[in-house]
Amino acid sequence: MRNKLIWVLVAASAAVLAVQLPIIFFRLPDELNQGMVYRIIYFHVPAAFTAFTCFFTALICSVGLLTTSNAGFDSVAAAATETGLAFATVNLVTGSIWGRYAWGIWWTWDARLTSMLVCWLLYAGYLMLRRAVEEPTQRARLSAVVSIFAFADVIIVWKSIEWWRTQHPQPVLSLRGGGGMAAGMQAPMYWDWLAFVLLAAALILIRMRQENVRREIDSLRRFAHAL
Amino acid sequence: MDPRNFTYLFYGLAAAWLIIFGYVLTIAVRERKLQKELERVRRMIEEKEARRRPDA
Amino acid sequence: MRVLNAAWVVARKDLRAELRTKETLNASLSFALVILLLFSFILDPDSQTMRAMSGGLLWLVFMFAGALILNRSFARELPNDCLEALIASPASGAELFLGKCVASFILLLVVEVICLPVFGIFYNVRWTRQTGLLIAVLLLGGWALTVIGTLFSALTVNLRLRELMLPTLIYPFLVPALMAAIQLTNVLIGGDTLERDDYIWFRVLIGFDVIFSLLGLALAESVFVG
Repeated sequence: MRNKLIWVLVAASAAVLAVQLPIIFFRLPDELNQGMVYRIIYFHVPAAFTAFTCFFTALICSVGLLTTSNAGFDSVAAAATETGLAFATVNLVTGSIWGRYAWGIWWTWDARLTSMLVCWLLYAGYLMLRRAVEEPTQRARLSAVVSIFAFADVIIVWKSIEWWRTQHPQPVLSLRGGGGMAAGMQAPMYWDWLAFVLLAAALILIRMRQENVRREIDSLRRFAHAL
Repeated sequence: MDPRNFTYLFYGLAAAWLIIFGYVLTIAVRERKLQKELERVRRMIEEKEARRRPDA
Repeated sequence: MRVLNAAWVVARKDLRAELRTKETLNASLSFALVILLLFSFILDPDSQTMRAMSGGLLWLVFMFAGALILNRSFARELPNDCLEALIASPASGAELFLGKCVASFILLLVVEVICLPVFGIFYNVRWTRQTGLLIAVLLLGGWALTVIGTLFSALTVNLRLRELMLPTLIYPFLVPALMAAIQLTNVLIGGDTLERDDYIWFRVLIGFDVIFSLLGLALAESVFVG
């Protein structure tokens, strides 16, 4: 049953992308200064949206774990954070490549890239902490606390770095030359977000199952040593 | 279609999908390791139970 | 209030233990001085650059020296099962957390207060022009560091790689508070008055302190006991 759900999610994601990719590449006009490169934004931004959707899921599950002590929440939180981190990496790397070819620089301390880097470090720390704690119940508890702290910090980080950047202007990785994207050009971004979220859900389900298997191995091992 | 920067766009998208596929690969590798570990622990339990039964 | 009573008992215990040996204070101060020395090689201390970078340098020193103090905060409870005794005591997790925060905060303030004149001497910077507001920034920023550091010190106390994990975990969390403190310190050490734009950083610092103090108090019990 779970396997079928995973395949359905992947198929749905592929279907949405199959519809959107031709639109992104063929129907939309080229941007004035950048030529074709700007189309990266249709993967760069949805990746960020998906990452935050995953991190928010992890937050909900962490609160659930602390209130109900149901270990299933820990599996979902860990899986969601890992998947979110993968999509955050996609965002950082595509942003970097886009910046290199559109504006000539591999990295800039642009408000959004900086914030995303800090978020990446926060959740990479979460995963590192999980590696370091061996006892499963303690690991679940401590990870949940870090996840809640991390999401609260994510919000503060985004706002503060935005304010920092309005005081210290730097090149901004966006298309705002005249004032935002035309309405017709925004739709593919949201459809791509949907596709990525479906893909992320499939990945989370797979990882969640792995975490459950790992917990089963731990308990079996303890049973074996007790014999 | 403006052919300008087409290779750069390709690099960008390739990077995005490579990262996703890389993550899927790590998941697959971990899956295999977990299955092996599960088999090993199950076998260990069966051996221990088999050894205990003659004594009981 | 009973809560503050228990927290104050824990804080007093820590401070008394620390004042007897002064080992954490000495280590932290020495580390701070070494960093100030090293930065003198990196930065050419003429007055223009120093004014622009004073905030960053000062807060970097406080962050690194503070990590030493925060690491010791729970690590000193490990021998002889003292941590278990504390957790088993009638004091709740929140009271224990608050007590530890207060103790570490006072130690951090001692380091800050000593480093500031030393910094002024080494780098020829006059920092006394806006002392009141500067002290306020030191207090707010120091509390931010203490709250996050104490919680993560409690989180990592039983881990093998504790000394490595604590800085790696807390520095990304502290980015907003650090930015705010650096901005404000830059302006205040330069002797300028704060403009309207700068007050937003005070709001960031206060908001950060309030939010994470509340979160820390709420989640401390989960960290200690579960």
